[in-house]
Amino acid sequence: MSADLVMDTCLLAGTMILKSGGETYRTEETMTRIAQAAGMDDVNSSATPTSVILSFRCQGQDHTRMVRTPKRTTNLNKITLVNDVSRRFVSGGITLSEAYRTLREIDQKKPVYPKWMQHMAAATASGAFSMLAGGTWLDLGPSALAGLTVNLSMEYFERFVHMKFFTEFSAALLGGLVALLFVTFFPQLHMSILIIGAMLPLFPGIAITNSLRDLMAGDLVAGVSRGVEAMLTAVSVAVATAIILWFMR
Amino acid sequence: MLIKGLALSLISSTAWCILFNVPVRTILAGGMAGMVGWLVFSFLPMLGAEVLLSTLVSASVVSLLSQLLSVLLRVPSTNFSVAGVIPLVPGSLAYKSMLAFVNNDYVGGITLATQTLLVAGAIASGLIFGISVLTIWKGARYAGKRTQRD
Repeated sequence: MSADLVMDTCLLAGTMILKSGGETYRTEETMTRIAQAAGMDDVNSSATPTSVILSFRCQGQDHTRMVRTPKRTTNLNKITLVNDVSRRFVSGGITLSEAYRTLREIDQKKPVYPKWMQHMAAATASGAFSMLAGGTWLDLGPSALAGLTVNLSMEYFERFVHMKFFTEFSAALLGGLVALLFVTFFPQLHMSILIIGAMLPLFPGIAITNSLRDLMAGDLVAGVSRGVEAMLTAVSVAVATAIILWFMR
Repeated sequence: MLIKGLALSLISSTAWCILFNVPVRTILAGGMAGMVGWLVFSFLPMLGAEVLLSTLVSASVVSLLSQLLSVLLRVPSTNFSVAGVIPLVPGSLAYKSMLAFVNNDYVGGITLATQTLLVAGAIASGLIFGISVLTIWKGARYAGKRTQRD
């Protein structure tokens, strides 16, 4: 089994998990397991939220490589698929070249749900959550629209502003403005409910969950950095909300 | 009222599953996790529990349920737990806290912000609880296997 193919397979699996919003301990574990199952000695892997390092020994020769993963999205389906491939390879169900080919196919795959469906999902989530927070039927439509604005503007701003927290801040500000407009023209709506619904798509759920899981797995650096990411998102949403509320005064 | 809450929590959790691109076969399970979490969350106050306790318990239930589902369906548990805790997010507390700060009511704002942080901490602790229980179970199974082999 050639060391290059093992290295390529491991790094492809690792970077795909990390890029799709997986935990760093899962990245390290997957790479280590694949390399060990391929018969490599002295396997060591290390991942932070932005980089992957893998090193092992093959027939007396050391191999080490590092890959940066600057751009990250959330695609849990990809993580599940990669997990599945690594599990099948480790249990001996498929060969290494088959695993590599499958991983390449997964890498090329488009997200399961098209863009419009995700925006509709954001709107639905916002509307349902605002009603859950005590809104009336009247609040449903406006808060769904505000949530849709937040999600749409986040996708639009991401294209030319490469700063996650500023993107989130601007999206929250726009969503808040939509809520503010609705409340100005229809005073029977509740500002609090609309804002709560509008900000829901920005809730850093994946960052919080990953941070906790990394901390529990003993990956302290990754856990703390993910936690800071979640906190900064929360702060940018809070500041945007404060600005909107200041307009209301 | 209860039916409405259940339906709304199911819808919002399912929508979050789509937002996170979970596999199609786990989408309904994620929504169900959110619904069960909301059921526990709205049922406990009737027995006299405070917000913090009911958040902690329902987050633990969601986390345990997602660990169980992840073993059953053989997918990472993140697929369920992230969407499952969505109905528990302390949105109105956070909003009230910001409103108090904007209105120069700093003491009230800090009180509400502390409450928000505590509720967020309760969600986090609940999630950790589920992970820990699964780790103990896995560890016990592994140790059992090892003693058999020796």
